[in-house]
Amino acid sequence: MTGNSGGPLFSFSGVTGGYGATTVVRSVGGEVSAGEACCVLGRNGVGKTTLMRLLTGHLPLQSGSVSFDGQPLDGLPPDRRHALGLIYCPQERPVFDNLSVRENLTLMAPAIDEGRYAAFFAAFPILESRMTQSAGTLSGGERKILSFVRAVAESGQLLLLDEPSEGVQQENVERMAGFLHEAKAAGRALLIVEQNLAFALGIADRVIVMDHGEVVLAGAAADMTEETLAAHMHV
Amino acid sequence: MDPILTTNILNVVYEVSTLAVVVLGLAVVFGLLGVMNLAHGEFVMIGAYCAFFVQAQNLPFLAAVPLALLVCAVLGLVVERLLVRPLYARPFDTLLATWGLSMLLREAVEAVYGRAFRSVATPLTGSVDVFGADYPSYRLLLTVVSIALVAGLVWWFVRSATGRRIRAVVNNPELAGSVGIPVTGLARNTFVFGCCLAALAGVMLAPLLPVNPTLGLDFILKSFFVLVVGGLGSLVGLISGSGVIGGVESVVSAFLDRTYGYTTVLIIAILFLWLRPNGLFPRT
Ligand SMILES: Nc1ncnc2c1ncn2[C@@H]1O[C@H](COP(=O)(O)OP(=O)(O)OP(=O)(O)O)[C@@H](O)[C@H]1O
Ligand SMILES: [Mg+2]
Repeated sequence: MTGNSGGPLFSFSGVTGGYGATTVVRSVGGEVSAGEACCVLGRNGVGKTTLMRLLTGHLPLQSGSVSFDGQPLDGLPPDRRHALGLIYCPQERPVFDNLSVRENLTLMAPAIDEGRYAAFFAAFPILESRMTQSAGTLSGGERKILSFVRAVAESGQLLLLDEPSEGVQQENVERMAGFLHEAKAAGRALLIVEQNLAFALGIADRVIVMDHGEVVLAGAAADMTEETLAAHMHV
Repeated sequence: MDPILTTNILNVVYEVSTLAVVVLGLAVVFGLLGVMNLAHGEFVMIGAYCAFFVQAQNLPFLAAVPLALLVCAVLGLVVERLLVRPLYARPFDTLLATWGLSMLLREAVEAVYGRAFRSVATPLTGSVDVFGADYPSYRLLLTVVSIALVAGLVWWFVRSATGRRIRAVVNNPELAGSVGIPVTGLARNTFVFGCCLAALAGVMLAPLLPVNPTLGLDFILKSFFVLVVGGLGSLVGLISGSGVIGGVESVVSAFLDRTYGYTTVLIIAILFLWLRPNGLFPRT
């Protein structure tokens, strides 16, 4: 897929929405270009997950717009966005608990493509050893890894990950970071919600900090120190 | 074996397996869409009238199968689009709407055929000897077809890619859309599939039932009881629920009479609602 406008692969502006009549996210904007990572930071409950649901089509926008590769996504259901190349890992319930690990990885592909997963199985051998077990028997961190692998192994150009490192052991968080660097190098765009500052700053090119559903700080990651960010996140 | 006992056992198996076909359609729709289609029994009724219609035209009985599937598929598509989809995630409204639909369908059929009981001639007459018992061939055939149908569908549900995707949507609808499953289309197809299964049951059962516009009520009630007893969680629950309800009803009806059969089943359902509201195999 090639950006037909030369602009950012993914951009959104004035994104406003929430649950029913309740507005949680107010006028949030941002963009991610190919080969770039944008991290969304913020305290618990400020609306990061809600923003992801609005961008992926799980919640309707009350106002604002979202576009991918120059094309507006208004009203497109999640499966159509997936077909365009938006790959989403939700924060909670990231896998199908009632399906086996293998079924989780091959649900949309007829037969497992070993080549596609080989590098991931090498990095996370636990997955390969649990292939026939139901995903519901995995620990929280292992489910996050399974979800991460499913998403990163797909071919879509944009990855939207909601707290991928939550509950994952440090060594595996580092391996995840490795895969994300590779994805960037391959020209994919990443939008990542994180609480783990070190992990986030290790891959982010841009940072958006949210509070009370709004953007309170945004800019290049290189211009921000952990102290500035921490100050904005723990007021 | 004692022929009377054999006949009773066959009757129980017949009752349980045909009931399972009806409940399967209702339960799959409920599992995937969260919609309890109170007009499900009316699709059975329409299937039965298709059998009557075909015979009145002097066409072979089997012609009723494609006719009923076509009629109910079209009807199911329209109902899904105009009624079920707009009320998605509003379970109480959906109950009211499908209840209204069930009345509408009964009235419509009554307007065409009246209230009189119609009979459909059995396509397969005579009886066969089963371990010394003389059992009607058509009932036996129906039992075999129903068991094959339920077993085939369960197998498909467990093994096919589409079955896996349906289970994925039931487990985690949000994730399902995001991995690329067209949830809306799958829900529509599932609803239509449920209607077609009801229609098929209607055709098959027509020769053994007094065909009339209120025929569906009996099925929706019994299907309800099955889901109450078995629980809404799984196919095992559905089949065991059909076993308890269909089995108890046919046994009690055989030894006392049909009214006692109904009463017993009703009491069992009430006891379950009271003491074990999630059924034998609750949804986790
Ligand atoms: N399904 C829901 N229905 C109604 N309100 C919700 C729902 N989910 C979240 N909220 C509310 O929306 C607000 C933002 O929640 P959200 O999950 O987006 O925050 P978050 O930044 O992702 O938090 P965390 O860091 O804990 O994941 C919270 O006040 C929460 O109570
Ligand atoms: Mg969140």
